[in-house]
Amino acid sequence: MTYEEFADARLAALLRYAVMLTGDPHQAQDLVQDTMVRVQLNWRRVARADSPERYVRRMLTNQFVDWRRGSWVRRVLLRGEPDETLPSRSDHAQHTVDRDQVWSWLARLPRRQRATLVLRYYEDLPDAEIAEILGCAVGTVRSCISRALTTLRTEYAEARP
Amino acid sequence: MTEDDLRAAFARHEPLTPPAGPVRAAIDRLAARRRRRRQRLRIGAAAFALVGVLGVVPQFLPGTPTRETPTVMGDRGAGTPTGALNVLLVGLDSAAGSRAPMADSLLIVHVPADRSRPYLISLPRDLAVPIPGHGTDKLNTAFARGAGPGLAAGYDLTRRTVTDLTGVRVDAGAVLTYPVLRELTDAMDGVRVCLPEQVRSSHTRRVFPAGCQWLDGAASVDLLRQRRDLPEDGRERDRDAQRYAAGLVRRAGEQGVLTNPVRLSRLLDLVGPNLTVSWTDGRGLPDLLRVVPDLRTTEPVGLGLPVGAADGQGRVLMDTRAAPGFLAAWRADRLAEWVAAEPGRVTRLR
Repeated sequence: MTYEEFADARLAALLRYAVMLTGDPHQAQDLVQDTMVRVQLNWRRVARADSPERYVRRMLTNQFVDWRRGSWVRRVLLRGEPDETLPSRSDHAQHTVDRDQVWSWLARLPRRQRATLVLRYYEDLPDAEIAEILGCAVGTVRSCISRALTTLRTEYAEARP
Repeated sequence: MTEDDLRAAFARHEPLTPPAGPVRAAIDRLAARRRRRRQRLRIGAAAFALVGVLGVVPQFLPGTPTRETPTVMGDRGAGTPTGALNVLLVGLDSAAGSRAPMADSLLIVHVPADRSRPYLISLPRDLAVPIPGHGTDKLNTAFARGAGPGLAAGYDLTRRTVTDLTGVRVDAGAVLTYPVLRELTDAMDGVRVCLPEQVRSSHTRRVFPAGCQWLDGAASVDLLRQRRDLPEDGRERDRDAQRYAAGLVRRAGEQGVLTNPVRLSRLLDLVGPNLTVSWTDGRGLPDLLRVVPDLRTTEPVGLGLPVGAADGQGRVLMDTRAAPGFLAAWRADRLAEWVAAEPGRVTRLR
């Protein structure tokens, strides 16, 4: 597979994944951009992996989780507040507002926990594969998910009148 | 708050995804820019490698008497060195600081006075030689016997042993450890090495097929460490070292750095600090670099000191028939004539 073929096939999916991770289209774009530049420059190594797709997803996830080491967060933060351009924002029905609170609670989760939630409930990956992407044990993945869900449920219970 | 709520929240935000087209274009732009920057660095590294192989020294060794190095470091500012140059490269198996390191391979880069082309001359590590002050032993033990703190003493005794053996003045020298070679090779994005026969690594089980191949830093070091299963033991490894060095020189030549001494030295400044080069005196460097563009070709000729078969203790002796003529030609800077007369003794490097 060439880099071009890979980008044709996977770039859109990676962008969607990055949106779920960061919750913000600009951050997602920067995250994908930084990762894919490295992918392109080191394509020979990436192509040697059993699954280049998983390898790249792992690169991207690590870059997201290890935000202190990367420069992209600092660059993004200089832009100020993330855009609030949700299509559903225009819907003022109470239940929609409730549901979109989920999104802001997600943003407050530790990055690793958020990544496990995205991999589990958006990408629908099995625990073993999530563990491989995050480079941790399967047990860690499970505890990460359950801790994240507990946090979200607590928030939910507190938000309900 | 259920898992389905989560799934729904994710699905609802999918429309936030930016279109792939502009992102793709931005990636290509950024990658191109970084590739250009990397290319500049790589040319610098190539210059550095060339300098290491052809005549200047990654790790200048203090303690070399200045009397012995008139061509290189003496007469600073007097311009391009004239006359033949001999640079001793000692490949060391163990990292600096470990106990009693043995020289794994000894390679002399010889540049004749007419600057026709570089010669890579291997000295077998198992050669039985008189080591000054230590009787007769294998050449590779000179490093360990001389080694005190640091590598300088080991290098110095090796250099004196080589000088006594060959009668050739050693103008400069370097000790190259495997980590240095690995870094260098990777910085150049690999080296093309051509092997006449398959080599199987006894360290990593890697198989190097016969023919030309690209090797990265780790693979190069792996190849250079192979000795036991090769024909003629260490000497075939010496030839592999020549093949590797030739690949390195060729790679440097491809970068075009050979023809532009100004760029060469500027790039060397750029890369030098990253590679922790310690110069005792950097001022002779531009003069030395001027040798490089004078070379008519950088395609090296691989040679080895003619030796006989190994004795019971694994030591090899000089071939008393062929060696004197070779050494005489070397000392007289007439190796081209010797090579023309003895084409069978040239290592095939490509």
